[in-house]
Amino acid sequence: MDFNRHISRRLHEEHEATLALWGRLEQTLAMRGHKPPTEEDLRLMRDCAAQIADEVTRHFAFEENDLFPLLAASGEGDIAELLAEEHATIRAAAKRFAELAQPGADPQAHWPELRALALELAERLVSHVQKEEMSLLPSLEDLLDEETDRELAGSYA
Amino acid sequence: MFANVAHSRLLPMSVPFRYFGAAVAFHVLAWAALLAGARDVPGFAGGLGMPFAALHLATLGVIAMAAIGATLQLLPVATRQPVRAIGAAKLLWWLLAPGVLLFAGGAAAYAPRVMAPGAALAIAALAVYAVLLGRNLWSARGMPVVVAHGWAALASLVGLALTGLALVARYEHGLALDHTAFRGAHLVLAAYGFMGLLVLGLSQFLLPMLAIARPPTVRSAYAALAAAFGALALALAGFFAGSEALVVAAAVAGLGAAGVHVVSLERSLRARLRPALGPAFALVRLSWVLLLASLVLAGAMALGWAPPRAGVLFVLLLVPGWLLTFLLAVLQRIVPFLASVHAGTGSPLASALSPEGPLVAHRLLHVAALASLLLAVLLDAPWFAHAAAAAGLAGALAFAAFFIGVLARLREAREAAPA
Repeated sequence: MDFNRHISRRLHEEHEATLALWGRLEQTLAMRGHKPPTEEDLRLMRDCAAQIADEVTRHFAFEENDLFPLLAASGEGDIAELLAEEHATIRAAAKRFAELAQPGADPQAHWPELRALALELAERLVSHVQKEEMSLLPSLEDLLDEETDRELAGSYA
Repeated sequence: MFANVAHSRLLPMSVPFRYFGAAVAFHVLAWAALLAGARDVPGFAGGLGMPFAALHLATLGVIAMAAIGATLQLLPVATRQPVRAIGAAKLLWWLLAPGVLLFAGGAAAYAPRVMAPGAALAIAALAVYAVLLGRNLWSARGMPVVVAHGWAALASLVGLALTGLALVARYEHGLALDHTAFRGAHLVLAAYGFMGLLVLGLSQFLLPMLAIARPPTVRSAYAALAAAFGALALALAGFFAGSEALVVAAAVAGLGAAGVHVVSLERSLRARLRPALGPAFALVRLSWVLLLASLVLAGAMALGWAPPRAGVLFVLLLVPGWLLTFLLAVLQRIVPFLASVHAGTGSPLASALSPEGPLVAHRLLHVAALASLLLAVLLDAPWFAHAAAAAGLAGALAFAAFFIGVLARLREAREAAPA
């Protein structure tokens, strides 16, 4: 889908980056099966944990504070509520995932739980991005005028 | 005009799911009717009876029903316009579901007087759908490619309804018309026109969305649409003018349209961000092969190069082959996805709501049924058609178990969620 608003394009690019990273993790875990992880697998997990802790958290906060109210005001409060609820679920799973993935937590010892959490997060992120790409971003194309779009893009930079 | 104005593009769950539920039930009935009339399948040359009932249970009951449910929920996503009349979306179901039952039941019982009210209800339902679709497309603000496919499908729907009415009038009142031409036009407008163009349009954004990929280029999508619409026009002209050359030209144009569609979507899928496509895409790819095969066979038939019983083979490739296979593939992805959207607090994963066992069984049985049906017709072996229809019926029951399983798991998830 092509977006005309700066902020839609920016969020779309972040979605793509998130999906590319988590898609790689999902594929790695599928290939590994239930075998113990290699050091490279654990490094990829830590990259994913860092990405979700930093970029996704910022992305979520921006959407909740600046975009979901716009969506709700346009009559699509149910969609805003659904997306916010998914943010909460993803945050909770990501917190536990980050705890287990850090080197000090002995990820090898918690491997079954860590693996399951990684697969859960990958699926949740994919599903969440699908919903935002179908509902939030197209709506922004209509809801934002050029000036508001520039202001939001500036504040999110 | 209609009550219950919606503001959100997210419909209440009961709206799309009543269509999906009816499609699942009609799917079982369609294979059961085919099983009951299996010995007549290889030699089927039109006319009322079980194979005719099975065909319309599949087209109107499963394919149109599921396509209407899916477009009611998905088209607003593409057009950025909500369904503004929830009451009409519900009324449509109450017209179409009994309409299909009466029409197919009448056909199975060789009772045109029962078919006529069924056809009237189905046509009324399609008229309501045409109004909803037209209003949504008229005020569309997004995805012009999908909107263009929607208009083309709508035009085909009008032609489909008119040819269908003419055929029913012939059965009931003995109306004199060129039956072969009208029957061919009705089949082509229904399968390649209304349902086919909806499938082509929705595929432009639905398949990339499911696969996490960029959609095909706008240019390729318009090229496929133009070729498909041109093919339809050529086919209709060929049927009514009795020109084999025009029908051959239609098949070639249709093959071009399908080729562009499949290649552009394959390119899109190859560049996907999520490596795992999921087994539903195996069915999507099978449906594409069967679409291409149907067009090759259509051309061969017009040239007089087709094998015996080619007409039945053509319908099998087109209806249970392309359209049914594609819609069942899409349904197995969007039913758990939409269920998870409506699950409320706790947001269960779509995979957790989706029972895999019945889907595996369905895939195997559906493919076995299709292959056996094609062989039964090629070999003129009614006993093989029995086995094929039995496999299809078992597959349809497995798909029903999947659908019921999703609803049961959704209920459990809702009950387990904190208040």
